[in-house]
Amino acid sequence: MQAVGVNYTRPDVYGKISGKAVYPDDIEFEGMLYAGVKRSTIAYGKVLSINIDEIKQLPGVEYVIDYTMIPGAISHGVIFKDIPILVKDIVKRIGDCLILIVTNDKESLKNALKQVKVEYEEYEGVFTVDDALKEDAPIIGDGSNILYDIKIKAGNIDEGFKEALHITENLYCSQMTEHAFLQPEAAVACYDDDGTLKVYVATQYPHYDREEVARCLNVSEDKVKIINTTIGGAFGAREDINPQCHAAIATYISKKPVKVLYTREESIISHSKRHPMKMHYKTGVTKDGKLCALKARIYGDTGAYASWGMNVLRKAAVHATGPYVIPNVDIQALAVYTNNPYSGAMRGFGATQVPLASESQMDILAEKLNMHPLKFRYINSFEVGSNTATGQKLVSSVGIKKCIEKIAEIAEIKL
Amino acid sequence: MKKRGVGFASIFYGTGYGNGFPDESRATAEIKEDGSIIIYVGVSDVGSGGLSIMWQIAIETLGVNKEFVKIKHNNTSMMHDSGTAAASRQTYNTGNAVLDACSKLKKNMMLASEEVTNLKVLYKQMVTKRIETRVEGYFKATTKEVNLETGQGNPYWPYTFGAQMVTVEVDDETGKVDILDIVSVNDAGKIVNPVLAAGQAIGGCAMGIGYAIMEEVFVNKGEIKNRNFSNYIIPTSKDVPNIKSYFVEDIEGTGPYGAKGLGEPVMIPTAPAIINAIYDAVGVRIYDLPATCDKVLLAIKNNA
Repeated sequence: MQAVGVNYTRPDVYGKISGKAVYPDDIEFEGMLYAGVKRSTIAYGKVLSINIDEIKQLPGVEYVIDYTMIPGAISHGVIFKDIPILVKDIVKRIGDCLILIVTNDKESLKNALKQVKVEYEEYEGVFTVDDALKEDAPIIGDGSNILYDIKIKAGNIDEGFKEALHITENLYCSQMTEHAFLQPEAAVACYDDDGTLKVYVATQYPHYDREEVARCLNVSEDKVKIINTTIGGAFGAREDINPQCHAAIATYISKKPVKVLYTREESIISHSKRHPMKMHYKTGVTKDGKLCALKARIYGDTGAYASWGMNVLRKAAVHATGPYVIPNVDIQALAVYTNNPYSGAMRGFGATQVPLASESQMDILAEKLNMHPLKFRYINSFEVGSNTATGQKLVSSVGIKKCIEKIAEIAEIKL
Repeated sequence: MKKRGVGFASIFYGTGYGNGFPDESRATAEIKEDGSIIIYVGVSDVGSGGLSIMWQIAIETLGVNKEFVKIKHNNTSMMHDSGTAAASRQTYNTGNAVLDACSKLKKNMMLASEEVTNLKVLYKQMVTKRIETRVEGYFKATTKEVNLETGQGNPYWPYTFGAQMVTVEVDDETGKVDILDIVSVNDAGKIVNPVLAAGQAIGGCAMGIGYAIMEEVFVNKGEIKNRNFSNYIIPTSKDVPNIKSYFVEDIEGTGPYGAKGLGEPVMIPTAPAIINAIYDAVGVRIYDLPATCDKVLLAIKNNA
């Protein structure tokens, strides 16, 4: 082949190494305004008052925008539209956006944001999955604290464990993590010559951003253009909307170019996180070293908003077995609302968490069998024609045995 | 005393949105009067090389010199929706849309002239013969929604696979874990650009090291305590060891030239392989990530 399988130099490399690549913060316009949001400092409660009139009088302040001034939808979300662009009354997490301030220079914006005073009626929040699942827990979600509940059942779990020579049962916990991309969020909005509103942003999905910007402005999508600049890393944290709608609303109201730029701290507070998970695993193996049963209960702290919580816990459940044939499974995975930072997409998306449990269980069982852990993996791994726990027949391109064979070859391990 | 251990982990990873969620990609291929060929495609290159992949698939399919092919990918008014740069889906899904568009354009180019020597001349021939110079490509992944009570169904396609071997050194007096060596082997079907793929695999290991032994967002009553890189510590070059990356190319017939996605799965085996290597080194199992010095040391003391 001419081009596939060949090490072509990536076309974007020249801009990146010469410093000519354009990120949103590199974009400047004559007469550009600066905008930023005041974020909630409490995790759960009701906003009683904000000193908007005082803020309007501060030097350099051009506009102070609250939810009533948003021309269209006041919330966004990749599946459920539950994340406030600007809060109406209820705050569900630290970092919820309250008001949008537009100034004519960066210093005035910094100063104005510091002067915002918010009065809250604070509610008792929920900060662990265990507390959120209690009967008398405050309800953070839409009628329930359980956003998503999926079960995967195959074979007969009780019979499966009866076949086992060894069973190991353990609780594993994974932590919340941050994407830690290099380029903090930024967006520049302006009106284009043809009258469309243009937003420069580094995003994972420009057409989704267009949809949300059009929704909040109450205009058709052809009146909005998203210019996807060079992207300074993403890892899932640029899937949900962040500065896009704020910049667009500020331009819509001011008719001027507007820039929104986050500090690292605001970036970390504002975007989604990797779901922390609690994983109860019980795994059985026969005397021949074949996995025969898996019971797993997986709880993901999805935080205050849905984001991709359903999809992440589904992915955790589907991948709970690891790449192995297990004929009898009983898996349940739940995404649970709390008042923590919201969890969403992050590289691996639920399938990154469960191998802590499944792969630890593999080593524990291999030791009980007195079998090399790589060989134990090899004899249980999928091949063409295998069924996954969801009953899916793997019809082609099942390279796991080849991967293990390569490791065995390098490490000189007999499989 | 510093003790060495080796750990293994293997994984599978369903790429794409999955579960019947509409997973569509679109691409437009157009030959211009100046003899250049422009591919308009909504591929966001988050650093993982999507732009290169689309470019290389287009060049391969069109069979023309790479200098003539350009990708336009950053303005929603110029390109159709190709979904998110996420779920390790761009190579397979959007790659297939580019393949579709370029196959159609190639067919039209062949209709105008069986021998392509000069693209400017070819463009004129296409216009004269009223052959379309601009064509649309499309791809939709085939997955089905699983039953919520039984989980049965075909939630993802295709699956990518991987296995890693990690060597660690654990100081049993301090609990400190050093990663000495990683072997990363992945099956993502045909590899479109080997250097970029190795870059993804090595970067994935680095991220996996952070997940395994360093990174944690501390939250107290909903408040993130470590909000900066001074106290949210990620791996640096001193934490990342020698990493050897290999690909076994188990060709996927439905992928563009046999390719599958690899952006996410390459990071997944690292953390569990490190946890297993720690056990191999000092005989203690860490059940809570990350395996920081204090947790490892406490486990060693409790095990003594």
